[in-house]
Amino acid sequence: MQDRSVLITGCGIVSAIGQDCGQVLDSLLKVRTGVGPLKYLKTGHTEFPVGEVKLSDEEMERLMGIAPGTPTTRTALMGMIALHEALGKAGLSRDELKECGFVNGTTVGGMDKSEQYYLDFIENDTRNAYIGTHDCGSCSEMIADRFGRFKMITTISTACSSAANAIEMAADMIRLGEADIVVAGGSECITKFHLNGFNSLMILDHSQCRPFDAERAGLNLGEGAAFVVLEEAGHAAARNAKALARLSGYGNACDAFHQTASSPDGEGAYLAMTKALKESGLKPGDIDYVNAHGTGTPNNDESESQAMMRVFGKDLPPVSSTKSMTGHTTSASGAIETVICILALRNGFIPVNYAFEHPMEKGIVPNMDLHKGCRLRHVLCNSFGFGGNDSSLVISAVE
Amino acid sequence: MIMENKSVKILSAKQISIQAPLLEEWMENPLSYNEDYVRAVDPDFKQFISAGDARRMGKLLKRALATSLSALHEGGIDNPDAIITGTGFGSIENTELFLDALVREGEQLLKPTQFMQSTHNTASSLIGIHTHCHGYNSTYSQKGFSFDSALYDAWMQFRIGRIRSALVGSHDEMSPVFSGFVRKAGHVKEGEICSEAAVSVLLASEGDSAYCTLEGVKLFDTPSENTLSKVLADMTDDGIDAVMTGMSGNSENDSWYRFLDAMLPGVPQLRYKHLFGVNFSSSATGFYAAASCLRNGKVPAVLSASGKPVECSKGILVVNVVEGRHYSFSLLKPVCGR
Repeated sequence: MQDRSVLITGCGIVSAIGQDCGQVLDSLLKVRTGVGPLKYLKTGHTEFPVGEVKLSDEEMERLMGIAPGTPTTRTALMGMIALHEALGKAGLSRDELKECGFVNGTTVGGMDKSEQYYLDFIENDTRNAYIGTHDCGSCSEMIADRFGRFKMITTISTACSSAANAIEMAADMIRLGEADIVVAGGSECITKFHLNGFNSLMILDHSQCRPFDAERAGLNLGEGAAFVVLEEAGHAAARNAKALARLSGYGNACDAFHQTASSPDGEGAYLAMTKALKESGLKPGDIDYVNAHGTGTPNNDESESQAMMRVFGKDLPPVSSTKSMTGHTTSASGAIETVICILALRNGFIPVNYAFEHPMEKGIVPNMDLHKGCRLRHVLCNSFGFGGNDSSLVISAVE
Repeated sequence: MIMENKSVKILSAKQISIQAPLLEEWMENPLSYNEDYVRAVDPDFKQFISAGDARRMGKLLKRALATSLSALHEGGIDNPDAIITGTGFGSIENTELFLDALVREGEQLLKPTQFMQSTHNTASSLIGIHTHCHGYNSTYSQKGFSFDSALYDAWMQFRIGRIRSALVGSHDEMSPVFSGFVRKAGHVKEGEICSEAAVSVLLASEGDSAYCTLEGVKLFDTPSENTLSKVLADMTDDGIDAVMTGMSGNSENDSWYRFLDAMLPGVPQLRYKHLFGVNFSSSATGFYAAASCLRNGKVPAVLSASGKPVECSKGILVVNVVEGRHYSFSLLKPVCGR
């Protein structure tokens, strides 16, 4: 069987720094953070800055033409907005979706509604429809069903690497001829549940997060959704679909160290990056930019620094974490940052590691200059999750 | 390097469910229940997990680890190349404890261990940590289609040539509170036992003693009649002994399997939900039951819709339909020369 090349022929994004690719590009080029005081989530923890999507649920429902009162979740709504843009860019009609796969990544799923209606679920029957929107799979169905029926749907839930793993699974499907087009990505809204969960683990920064900074004190939660349309090269050519980028390799590895902490030498991250490079047939020196996982927690950034130095040695390419602008969009982050990488490749710039000031003793020094007009050939995008579910994608420019 | 369609061996399959744990006793002496919510029968976990570790783990994690280690032991593989897990709800007991405290007591004094275990991928990562496996590791959460998705991924990993062994599992626990929720949501229907299940299956490209072989996995959302008949024709090309269905006795659920009457006429239909109950990992119990039957060369009467045992020489097609839209087909064949 011939190996089939995987192109990206569409992408869509909604995040704290913009509600489509154009707005996100503008924010990246102006180095504008979307992290700020809480506005939409109803929580007592107003001390934590967050990267919220600047739309209420009702505004999102209106944008997507969802009738008021229809049971839905914020995760599903954001997913619809991003998928709408991705399908539009790829020029896929409702009828064509019947031949396409759909792989979504989420972990929080419909928890925003469950934490609101939990007592109703127990005590009465007024909110039963929202029980059915609690689980991860139902969110994927709601997102997909807004646009039609796909050939198959599934959901990956590997915490903060969910969307990256969704993209990997989708690419495997294309390479094996299971489908010619698979749409993959992730969606996750901020909930009280995981804001409090991350707070209980004491990994939230009380001020703007500072990935790779010596004085970093944790992450800022973000939210959003992004999807990419992965398409077999011959299929894309046959229907004159414009390729935005190529997914040239990817790797998935397990740190197998701790449920919520990364190993000091970043073994899982190292393996994910080296596997991705090997599959792409590239050498470390071919990588022109790394979009790091870079959450801003003391543990991640140290571990990831070690892993990157092990992979690249002295010739470390420019590295940045864009989470200081988007917040940590958890399950969606792999797709959000894939789209950011595509924007960087196509517009010739290197995203800045906003809010970095002080170099770590044994860490990497992230990129602080946009390098506008530069030519990027290949970029590496890291996503690491709780449980040591580490994944890396190599995304390449197309001529 | 991508492989042509090549069969994969099933070296072992283990379950903890509402039947006797880690055994095939259900084939001859199944436990039966009058209640509509039944929790799993747990084995003695001491043989798998130290008492200290066990105290920190919820039921789902203990069961996942026990079925995994038991499957690895029987299959003679210590470090599988891939660990792929399905779960509809993840560790829902810890999720519920955290959620309940959040809602009733507010945003103070919440416990990090409960939050940590609420993440769906804790089982897959725990198995990775326990077996020191740094290889491919993933988790699927698509309601009652989670195991099917995990199996499909494993099938692809073999075909793409990335792995030579995989531990594929599906694990769901059910708290009393959530057992009420899943009834309200229609995930478990009238006449069905709301249950729990943990199933681990060890797959490998080689191995001397195998239960059976896996010949293919296909997933669909809302397939057309045409697609269904084509898939069934393709997968039953060489003939099958029986089709394993998810029929439960609930009329809405069973209507989703009616296409098999017309498209596979005369093929004996099997069922397992009356023995293992219904939960998001149900389809894994059906797959496990089919693999165990092929190992023995026959399907016991208790699984057969006709009430008669079925001899196995050609294979069993395992069919799962979730909510009338998600369809999976997995073809299992006896090991050659049995």
